[in-house]
Amino acid sequence: MMEKGDNLIEYKIGTVDEIPEGSCKIVTISGKSIGVFNVNGEFFALRNTCPHQGAELCKGKIVGIHVCGESIDDIKLVREGEFIRCPWHGWEFDIKTGKSLIDPKKTYVRSYEVSVKPSCDEELQVETFPTRVQADVILVKV
Amino acid sequence: MSNTIIDCDVHPRPRSLEDLHVYLPKRWHNSHLLISRPFYIHPNHVLRLDAVTPDNGSPGSDPSFMREHLLDPYGISYAILLPLGYVNMHPNPYMASDLASAYNQWLVDVWLDGDNKDGRYKGSITVAPQNPKAAVEEIAKWADHPHMVQVMMDSGANTNYGHMQFYPIYEACEHYGLPIALHPTGEGLGICSPASSGYPTTYMEWSVGLTFSIQAHLVSFITEGVFERFPDLKLVLVEGGSAWLPSLMWRMDNAWKGLRDSVPWLTKRPSEYVKEHVRITSQPLETTDHPKHLLANLEMMDAKNIMMFASDYPHWDFDDPKRAFPKLPEDMKNRIFYENAKELYKLP
Repeated sequence: MMEKGDNLIEYKIGTVDEIPEGSCKIVTISGKSIGVFNVNGEFFALRNTCPHQGAELCKGKIVGIHVCGESIDDIKLVREGEFIRCPWHGWEFDIKTGKSLIDPKKTYVRSYEVSVKPSCDEELQVETFPTRVQADVILVKV
Repeated sequence: MSNTIIDCDVHPRPRSLEDLHVYLPKRWHNSHLLISRPFYIHPNHVLRLDAVTPDNGSPGSDPSFMREHLLDPYGISYAILLPLGYVNMHPNPYMASDLASAYNQWLVDVWLDGDNKDGRYKGSITVAPQNPKAAVEEIAKWADHPHMVQVMMDSGANTNYGHMQFYPIYEACEHYGLPIALHPTGEGLGICSPASSGYPTTYMEWSVGLTFSIQAHLVSFITEGVFERFPDLKLVLVEGGSAWLPSLMWRMDNAWKGLRDSVPWLTKRPSEYVKEHVRITSQPLETTDHPKHLLANLEMMDAKNIMMFASDYPHWDFDDPKRAFPKLPEDMKNRIFYENAKELYKLP
């Protein structure tokens, strides 16, 4: 972990190959359950608690959303993999912002800054075989 | 009580089958034998006994007597007339639409043009949902009549009214700036579904249950996105009760939060469509032993902006404009008894 100027701390939660595109890894950081998502190669982290009734939000399904295109009969599936649907009541949250689709201003889940850095830790390199490309590490700022 | 009242549910009736048959093609005369329900008949009297006309005619059959008996004593400025044509029960869509036409021509001849110099009688264009094409023609025929103010369909039906088969009707309503009103009566008759799982036994079960029919149509209008397709359309729910509206709006809003993806055409909460597009008439007002509960309910549904007074004259469950409501805040009273209907029907 590394201290940062904004009083938040960056926690290493794993390597990028542990969270393939379209998946989520739930981790516990200083007592908080947090879901870390890989959306098309970009990583995002959300508090694993639905603001509605407290379900473990990140255990929901990662989905796209249906919207109307040119007309009301032109139904399109868009932004596949960019939303998490709560495993209880099905409310949809934008993984990138934590905001709900139904009421983005008032209903949202806390999101955390995620960064990906090349691995330079001795401990991680020790176990790797020389032929394997070292996976980058994912850091979540909490 | 305000001197100015608009009564949004008043029922005119032909004096006899023959009076209507003047307007109905002969080929249907043998199949059209009733101007009332064949069953679910009221056990006592469905029409107020004191509303029989001076020449012993059926209550609601004489414009002049209705003026003396209802409009003048209560200071009612306008009566919105909804003839109950029992149109929807018929399996033959051609007969159904001809029957609707007959009611419209009768309404114009006897009421709107016949005895209406003061312009206080305003009419509803009856349409047969079994025949949307004819319904559109009927709307076009009467839309410009100075005293026709809305289109009406019986809420007794065999398809929920948000369904696409009815869109030509709503398109015509929107085009001519006429609200679409739903009024119960055909539930469980002929080809119309009952409003419940199977058929009610008694008139009481049938009439209490009419509220389910109106609610089902409202949910259908909302979930099918009718108000997104026809953004200027207004829907009037007549005689289906109203106290259920707050909880139904909550229920729809909650459902939408989790099911939005299946109705992507909805761009806002269901309750917002209700406030913008739906008006609900008051009779039969669901009164209780605790007036404060009723007042709270009116507040919850925003009755001040969406409710319109109705008496249901000359039916037995008439709501007296002076006695039906508990004391209301003045601005709410004026809107319910007059302003909401004046705005909706663009009355002078």
